[in-house]
Amino acid sequence: MSAVLTFWPAIVKATLTTLWISWLALVLGGIVGAVIGHARLSRRRVLRWSAVAYTELFRSIPPLLLFAGCYYGLAYTLEIRLSPFAAATLALTLVASSLMSEVVRAAIESVGRGQRLAALASAMRPLQVMRYVVWPQAVRVMVPAATGVYITTLKDSSVASVIGYLELTRTTLLVRETTGKSFEALLIAALIYLALTYAISWLGALVERKFHFVH
Amino acid sequence: MYQFTIEAIASYFGKLPLAIAHTLELSILTILLGLVLGIGGALCRTSRAPVLRLLGRVYVELLRNLPLLIVIYLVYFGLAQLGLRIGNFESALIALTLNTGAYMTEVLRGGLAAIDRGQYLAARAQAMSTVQVYRYVVFPQMFRIIYAPLGNLFISVVLGSSLASVIGVEDVMTWVHIVGNESFRYLEAFLVGGAVYVSLAQLINLSRLLVGRALLRHQAPGARA
Repeated sequence: MSAVLTFWPAIVKATLTTLWISWLALVLGGIVGAVIGHARLSRRRVLRWSAVAYTELFRSIPPLLLFAGCYYGLAYTLEIRLSPFAAATLALTLVASSLMSEVVRAAIESVGRGQRLAALASAMRPLQVMRYVVWPQAVRVMVPAATGVYITTLKDSSVASVIGYLELTRTTLLVRETTGKSFEALLIAALIYLALTYAISWLGALVERKFHFVH
Repeated sequence: MYQFTIEAIASYFGKLPLAIAHTLELSILTILLGLVLGIGGALCRTSRAPVLRLLGRVYVELLRNLPLLIVIYLVYFGLAQLGLRIGNFESALIALTLNTGAYMTEVLRGGLAAIDRGQYLAARAQAMSTVQVYRYVVFPQMFRIIYAPLGNLFISVVLGSSLASVIGVEDVMTWVHIVGNESFRYLEAFLVGGAVYVSLAQLINLSRLLVGRALLRHQAPGARA
């Protein structure tokens, strides 16, 4: 155990990297997912179907394939040489955005047609309806589901290890190779992941309560 | 300039069926074993004994909050260091099963919890045996609730099985890596591999839709959602 613990600076740095990249992917995925989620509810059939295709596609491809595709696939074919960080962010964002699009869609649908119609009847413009009626309510519904997406993204970020991005899993494997202490190294990584996911659920619940989001 | 051509990797297609077979073998075994584990877990979580309930809860919480990749490495590398050497396919199967069992536990528990206690009592009052209560009252209703999340779970098992490639299981993902590394036709390899996974996932999606339609047909019109 102590042999593994001598690498604590690397492990701490890797933990922060894992947190940072999954947070980045959550935010980027949230932005893309919001657009896709709105497209899902569009009146235009082309938009609706493209959104469904996007969501289904990235939910049906293993993250591992996406990571490898963004790193090796783009580099060898389109000559877009992304760094492991950029490739991992891109792949994670694709996964997170397909998850977030469903969260956003469900949240908007939860507001109910009656409210939208009532707002329109009050002479609000469509954008005002969204800005003042739909979005403020939808955001509340999204908090628990978005917390779940953050946890999924954090867990999926471990797959970035296969393209050599130095996050927690990759660093753990390096420590394992250096020290030969596989069990201890992986156990520490597991405990860190548990601590992170618990912290996220706890924070999510805190946000929900703080803003009186509990129904 | 790069020329996209699927023919460039045509010579590798002969090995694809075996890779798909390995992916399917791993996924189906995981689903079956995960179901067994999930039934046990759900019984624990709904048990009257606090110790069993706690055990079930700890299991679910641990496995659902750990990345699958870490579980796979723990079983394969971690246990080997402790002197327990397990083959790569078996390691992947154990890790995937542990992971799937946790999610299965929650799905089944949700199904059980949705059925009111009064129904058990009413069925009992009709002089039904325990087996009959489950066969005619509990399972038919439970299945209607769990078939949708169950389908999602099956999809994530198939996708998750791709992680077995990191410890050398020769599945579709490994095929993709081999083709890419040997021919440098990464894009073609990824597209074919991606198409296989998307087809498998959408096949599960489709059968879920069909099951759902068949289930609703036998439901009283008033009870339809």
